[in-house]
Amino acid sequence: MAKQRPGFIADPVMRARAVSPLAGHIETGQFGVAVGQSPSVRLGERFGLSIAEVTAWKGRESKCRAAIKATASAALKVAPGSGSVKTAAGAFNIAPMRWLVSGESPELVANLADAVSEDGTVTDLSHGRTVIRVDGEKSRWVLAKLFAVDLSDAAMPRGNGLATAHHDIFAQIQRVGADAFDVYVFRSFARSFWHLLCRSAEEAGYRVD
Amino acid sequence: MTSHRISTGGRIDRDKPVAFTFDGKRYSGFEGDTLASALLASGVRLFGRSFKYHRPRGLLAAGYEEPNALVTVTTDGAREPNIRATELEIHDGLVAESQNRFPSLAYDLMAVNGLAGKVFSAGFYYKTFMGPVIGPLKGTRFWMFCETFIRRAAGLGAAGTTPDPSRYERMNAFCDVLVVGSGPSGLEAARKAAADGKRVILCETAASFGGTANWSGKDGEMFADTVLSGLKSEPNVQLLNRTTVWGYYDGNTLAALERVTDHVGRPRAGKPRHRHWVIRAGHVVIATGALERGFVFPGNDRPGVMLADSAQRFACEYGALPGRRMVVFANNDSAYQAAARLRERGAEIVAIVDVRPTVGDWAQSLAAEAGAETIPAHAVTGTSGGKSLTGVTIRGFDAETGNLSGSKRRIACDTLLVSGGWSPVLHLASQAGAKPVWSDKLHAFLPPESDGAWEAVGSAAGEGIEPPEPVFEIAATGGKAFVDFQHDVTADDVRLAHREGFQSVEHLKRYTTLGMATDQGKTANVPGMAIMAAALGKPIPEVGTTRFRPPFTGASLGALAAERYGDLRPERLTPMHDQHVAAGANMYAAGLWFRPESYNRPGETVEEAYVREARNVRRNVGIVDVSTLGKIDIQGPDAGEFLNRVYTNNFGSLPVNKARYGLMLREDGFALDDGTTWRLSEDRFLMTTTTANAGRVMQHMEFYLECVWPDLRVNLTSVTDQWAGAAVSGPKSRDVLAACVKLTKVDNDTLPFMGIVHGKIAGAPVMICRLSFSGERAYEVYCGAHHGPHVWDALMNAGASHDIQPYGLEALGTLRIEKGHVTGAEIDGRTTARDLHLDWMLSKKKPFIGSAMMDREGLTDPRRWTLVGVISLSGEKLRGGSHIVDGPAEKPGRSLGHITAMCYSPLYGKYIGLALVENGVARIGTRGFATDPARSKTHIPVEFVNHVFYDPKGGRMHG
Repeated sequence: MAKQRPGFIADPVMRARAVSPLAGHIETGQFGVAVGQSPSVRLGERFGLSIAEVTAWKGRESKCRAAIKATASAALKVAPGSGSVKTAAGAFNIAPMRWLVSGESPELVANLADAVSEDGTVTDLSHGRTVIRVDGEKSRWVLAKLFAVDLSDAAMPRGNGLATAHHDIFAQIQRVGADAFDVYVFRSFARSFWHLLCRSAEEAGYRVD
Repeated sequence: MTSHRISTGGRIDRDKPVAFTFDGKRYSGFEGDTLASALLASGVRLFGRSFKYHRPRGLLAAGYEEPNALVTVTTDGAREPNIRATELEIHDGLVAESQNRFPSLAYDLMAVNGLAGKVFSAGFYYKTFMGPVIGPLKGTRFWMFCETFIRRAAGLGAAGTTPDPSRYERMNAFCDVLVVGSGPSGLEAARKAAADGKRVILCETAASFGGTANWSGKDGEMFADTVLSGLKSEPNVQLLNRTTVWGYYDGNTLAALERVTDHVGRPRAGKPRHRHWVIRAGHVVIATGALERGFVFPGNDRPGVMLADSAQRFACEYGALPGRRMVVFANNDSAYQAAARLRERGAEIVAIVDVRPTVGDWAQSLAAEAGAETIPAHAVTGTSGGKSLTGVTIRGFDAETGNLSGSKRRIACDTLLVSGGWSPVLHLASQAGAKPVWSDKLHAFLPPESDGAWEAVGSAAGEGIEPPEPVFEIAATGGKAFVDFQHDVTADDVRLAHREGFQSVEHLKRYTTLGMATDQGKTANVPGMAIMAAALGKPIPEVGTTRFRPPFTGASLGALAAERYGDLRPERLTPMHDQHVAAGANMYAAGLWFRPESYNRPGETVEEAYVREARNVRRNVGIVDVSTLGKIDIQGPDAGEFLNRVYTNNFGSLPVNKARYGLMLREDGFALDDGTTWRLSEDRFLMTTTTANAGRVMQHMEFYLECVWPDLRVNLTSVTDQWAGAAVSGPKSRDVLAACVKLTKVDNDTLPFMGIVHGKIAGAPVMICRLSFSGERAYEVYCGAHHGPHVWDALMNAGASHDIQPYGLEALGTLRIEKGHVTGAEIDGRTTARDLHLDWMLSKKKPFIGSAMMDREGLTDPRRWTLVGVISLSGEKLRGGSHIVDGPAEKPGRSLGHITAMCYSPLYGKYIGLALVENGVARIGTRGFATDPARSKTHIPVEFVNHVFYDPKGGRMHG
């Protein structure tokens, strides 16, 4: 049972009462795949996650990193963009003294607020962001059509992330696997971005589960 | 026509025939052919008509430098003009046509222009078409009148007007080393970089990698194949063929165009036609090779005159022999290699005419291999034939003086191969900022010392180029001698420009148009400068240096626009978007957001719908989606102090669970934005901003926190998308909430005006603030955005028995106009708090952003435009943006202001509006006119009234 907090502190997504902005727009199946070939990209929404932005007060960065580790099991390095990803939760640096933390647990944000306490601030964004996973051997190829960022092994180790934009659409990207990336976009842009992503992935051939 | 196809060799696939049409006639070629090579193999010599004189033109070159053979390709009705036949790969069903001719390529009536001689010399239209001093076509008007006809007669291909159905894409790439050009030097550079573990991108403009190795002999071809297969197996190497790197920008950012599917008739779904690459490279290797130049002599543009190396390329790479009986005209040894190779491929080399007095042993042996007579100290002085070469005339020539001597000798041939030296392709180095340096040895510009960000290798750096005798022009009589084939610029044009005072190479270019158009003078610039230098009596480098700017070759605009084309402008949707659409709302674009304009019932106009919706709010209850409002989470121990400085009124004293209307000014004292801000806890506020200003306000506040008050402990995060918001307004709004809100009461004591409560609706947590934009008792209900549709439905269900109706932007506007509330239409960057009657919000107890500047003389002038209400007295519909004037239509007088917003007021039964009017308050009770002469042509009598039309004491919203 999630801790009872006012919604402005923690407002976990109640699946039975929640609607994704992509509802009715996610068509499952294979697209753009030539006969006899398999899709080289997989796309899917990770709906219902708990997502929060943690901002440290100056001089309290390490305490905030510790709070994130305690809450989301994500051990974070100091370098810009550093991140960590586990099965159930992850976090990455999105700006100086700022991290985006996400996870499956509905208590994540409330727990973070407790753990961070006076060392910084926590803002619940569970409803404000849509997370789309792009996976597969051509994931970088597809994302490179949209974002002017280097997603190579050397530039972005697993777990790390960054903040960028595709024209008007602000996006935060975390590398979550060998070829897997989670793209966080503002909820209001999610539908447009999903269609754009699908269109961009058509060349490579993609699958939506 | 006889076939000029060689039976073996080349990179074409003779097992895969390809059918295409050129000027309506069917031809066939093979996979791997360009349009040029396939037509050449079919015996076609005539490819186009020249720009001004409509002279018949054939192929001069085999690659991107080709000036003559420009064609238009039509695909599904879309036309793309000016495509070089030498780069256009054929595919089944290709439809190409020649350009700039009427009625046909073979019989072009416009060729009469050639007879007009000097009329069309350099700058002709500036001189010829100057109009008389007076009259309707005076001065440049006559020129403009003539321009239409000139453009029709002279020019390149015509673009179509149907939309281009093709798809274009952008691609971002990062690498340690970008190698431009895949000839032997480029391949070697890529191999070395890859071996060092670097991330490498190798771009080749042609379809096949290898560059000159593809046509210069077996050894080169084997080397290229070996290196290439090695590179293909390297995981850190990306090979991009059909990709032209056309721009070199700051920070080693390069632009390239990949022609992804131009070479296939029907691309697979999802494949773009072109891809615009933006490549950020650690280091750039410029391995772009060198381009052969021709000579300037009379008749040098006749079909059948071709660059020697290009002829070799056609024969060796494409198996298409440009002719049977060839004469070579050269000033360097490279042409002898071409001659030998062409002989090997089946051509007869009749003679090699060389301007040099003696020819070295190596060249002699190659001439012998070619079976050609070597004729030193001679030059070609003319050509004969109609639309196809039949012979050349030669005379003795002194390379030192340029003098001709002896009698003419005619040699019959169908092809003249010319080689007037080589120009390294240093365009990218030049774009990178380098000034080319002249080489007295190679008689060409070379890339200068690099700054380390790039390097030039191979013949792009001048390596391996055969030094030529510096002969550029054979000054003989007997017809036009062309410098720039594409723009029909002759040697006489260059000399004319000199006589008329144009001395710098930049002026020469603009006056004669030498070096302009699609080929950018790739084969013409150096000969043009040489002729100018000779006219000036100066060495070539003193005439100037040609610099290059992007693009190296044309880049399609579609590729640059890429995914921004058509339907892919992002749309910003609220959580309840689908519900609005299902309820029949007209969706209205407000910035990127889509908002309901009105929910029209069958047969209703927009006006009828919004009047109904607004009336229902005043009588019963309405609900409107306010999710688009900017929302900013403001946290920290100094949040109250921060807001005190940002807003004109006091926020530090605001109690927890209360909201306050706030106004912020710019530094210069003008109004910036307004909105309500809610205090959620001691150190946490939720600020709302107007929809349009959300980003601006966020930037404004971030700037102050980062740069002006870094000592304040405040954090800002945009939560616009976190919260869905619905405003429930009307006398029955409390009943609706009471029916569905759990865990809190909503009565007047628990939830007074500007109070905040937390509860649940249908199981979802909500925050409710009692505030009003409509003037009625009203509540803004916020919930997590994913729960928005669920909560909206619950509110609609709870309101069903109270006649709840959703309302859109138009009704929202009507209600706020009646109430006299301001929005972005009034806070337009030119108004002050006083102009908008918001001076009661200017705290005298504290400074705030803008307070130092807001009392400037000009900002307190009572004659300023101030906010008033206007009522249409004639019953006519007012128009937003109409000017306010004093006088009647025939003598309106000057503008005194304008209408910022208008509506049909259900309350008044009239059209009313808000207006910013000079000395507005003093005009209340008087009359004027709202005039709109340009659009609706209305001139409507209006009465000026107080801007608050409705419930000025606020009893309805406080009750």
